[in-house]
Amino acid sequence: MSEGLNYTFLIDTFFVALSGVPITLFVTIVALLVALPLGFLLALTRINQVPVLNWFSRIYVSFVRGTPIIIQIFIVYASVPLILSLFFNRYNININVYDINPIWYAFIVFSFSTTAILIEVFRSALSTVNKGQLEAAQSVGLSNFQAYRRIIIPQALVVAMPNICTATVNLIKATSLGYAMSLQEITLKAKVAANAGYNYVEAYIDIFLVYIILCSLVEYGFKLYEKRLRRYKYASA
Amino acid sequence: MLKINDIHKSFGKNEILKGVDLSIDKGDVVVILGPSGSGKTTLLRCINFLERADSGNATFGDLQVNLHDASKKDIHAIRQKTAFVFQNYNLFNNKTAIENVTEGLIIGRKIPKADAIAIGKKALDKVGLSDKYDSYPSQLSGGQQQRVGIARAVALNPDIILFDEPTSALDPELVGEVLTVMKNIANEGTTMLVVTHEMSFAKDVASHVIFMDGGVVVEEGSSHDIFVSPKEERTKKFLKRVLPEDYTFYI
Amino acid sequence: MRNMEKYFDISYIWNSLPVLLPFLKVTFMVAGLSIVFGTFFGLILAVMKLGKSKIAQKTANFYTTILRCTPSIVLLFLVYYGVPALADNFGLYLHDLNTAVFVVITFTLQFAAIMSEVIRSAYESIEKGQFEAAVSVGLSPFQAYRRIIFPQALVVGLPNFGNGLIALLQEGSLAYTIGLIDIVGKANLIIAANYNTHALEIFIALAIVYWVLSILIEKFFGKLEKVFSKGKQTINTN
Repeated sequence: MSEGLNYTFLIDTFFVALSGVPITLFVTIVALLVALPLGFLLALTRINQVPVLNWFSRIYVSFVRGTPIIIQIFIVYASVPLILSLFFNRYNININVYDINPIWYAFIVFSFSTTAILIEVFRSALSTVNKGQLEAAQSVGLSNFQAYRRIIIPQALVVAMPNICTATVNLIKATSLGYAMSLQEITLKAKVAANAGYNYVEAYIDIFLVYIILCSLVEYGFKLYEKRLRRYKYASA
Repeated sequence: MLKINDIHKSFGKNEILKGVDLSIDKGDVVVILGPSGSGKTTLLRCINFLERADSGNATFGDLQVNLHDASKKDIHAIRQKTAFVFQNYNLFNNKTAIENVTEGLIIGRKIPKADAIAIGKKALDKVGLSDKYDSYPSQLSGGQQQRVGIARAVALNPDIILFDEPTSALDPELVGEVLTVMKNIANEGTTMLVVTHEMSFAKDVASHVIFMDGGVVVEEGSSHDIFVSPKEERTKKFLKRVLPEDYTFYI
Repeated sequence: MRNMEKYFDISYIWNSLPVLLPFLKVTFMVAGLSIVFGTFFGLILAVMKLGKSKIAQKTANFYTTILRCTPSIVLLFLVYYGVPALADNFGLYLHDLNTAVFVVITFTLQFAAIMSEVIRSAYESIEKGQFEAAVSVGLSPFQAYRRIIFPQALVVGLPNFGNGLIALLQEGSLAYTIGLIDIVGKANLIIAANYNTHALEIFIALAIVYWVLSILIEKFFGKLEKVFSKGKQTINTN
């Protein structure tokens, strides 16, 4: 490697890494689609101290925040096939669990972990919205649901946006661990390409660049959106 | 004792001070009045080097400094001779009332701790807070916090105390207690330079009143001169706006 | 459920814990060094961000953005393969270096970025008036920082520092991928020795260890915050 970088490989592999972006984004979007509503609902159970669900959410959040994602992946990847094969055997369903596309495991793991992160994000965002806002909404005749939809959530969303952005970037980064489930995303694709000629330095530079581009774009997108959401704050300033 | 000559200060394109002169003798209570944005606060902050003036000179006893390029040593020397009372108190949040008062004595002036505490307690007693030595700022009302701020200034026994709108952040019902404390220390002969909107304080306590507008001194004189027989049109307009129509002064 | 025992045997969890726990030493050592170096470099970055020089600000912010966008595993391998390759150019042979060194370099880089933000935001949360009041009573600027600004910023920064520690500990679990035998590396060795059976139990044991550690760190910083937050009224956020 002392001869320096293999530039042809560097350029070729960049596009290999880039070809993993759709899978990465697909997993990210599915995880967000599951986690946003679920995280919000569970955050409500925390705020309103719903008896059993409140405790469930607490332990759930504590577990996800307390354990590395790679270990969550290990656990899901080791346990889900076990449970499924048991289930399939019992009901004589003729599916081989090892034929299941790894992307399903990725959906499970990343939805599971992102939901927990978003519970905390929404909980703290909701608690910043003044209690008077809900009372005022009710006093003009809005139902609880309407008050949340029209008054509370729009305000909480502005507060939550930067944290949702961070969660999304972290999620994209975490999908790089999909290799442990043989998920064909950015990191795994470039790594496989590197295996042939031991061009690891080049491969990881490519992966590095793809993530930086991807995450910068996501951060930029969120900034634009945040600006739009914040309109009502500028008006008073 | 304190003389300021031709002080200029701009923020970006805004010229806030356009050549202000000022002279204070020992025992004077000088009150600066003027509409907001007239440069009163900036003048005060430049004297204590919380802002750097663009040009101007200050004579402080036998110490003479250029307000623009004073050395660190000179700045330190002037701050040792002055004390500052802030609009929003700026008590040290991590220190109790007594620690707030003694901090400058022990650390800044190297006074032995026991002596400093004795001085601090006396200062707090003077502002009527002898039962609040060990309270943190967050446990005090706004008026109490500002009284600690005044005690902190008094304890330093400075040649002059600079007050920057000391009551304007307070709820109306708390203004009185702070003004009373200020009156008391003025009566003890403390030299004070006060920026305020409290006309009654200016009228009753000031030995000299300065009216500023648009970055210059428009008019100055005794409180009788300013309040009863103002000469300048701008002064009259200002007083008419801030004083009730049928308000008459008896001096 | 009878035939499940073949696959899942809870006793594996308890039996693996005594074997795994000694390897926390490696985890702690690597994390500890990264914290020390990372905090130091983070402080330098924070000073650059808060200083007057536009170039220094841009450089420090650029560094933080890049690091924020890079997955730990990518950074880990980039350091693992890239540092020796780079060293070759200077005639240094680093390919035999202990794996732990690469791990420490990686997480130092990452923790520095985290800490620079923790320090910057803590510093900025202290009003300018605190400094002004300190110099107005005759403290030197250095004394004002040391006695007034720093103690207050510490309280603000402490919870974020704790969160940074937990994040570092968790990201550190990836060190096994370049061959570090820390607690995760050891777990994988145990699984390999069992011919890949009972992996789930070992992973659950790992999860328990990390979970307990994170809770302990959180509790510890909660206590610490209480000790340091003199003069701050505690606001109950729950």
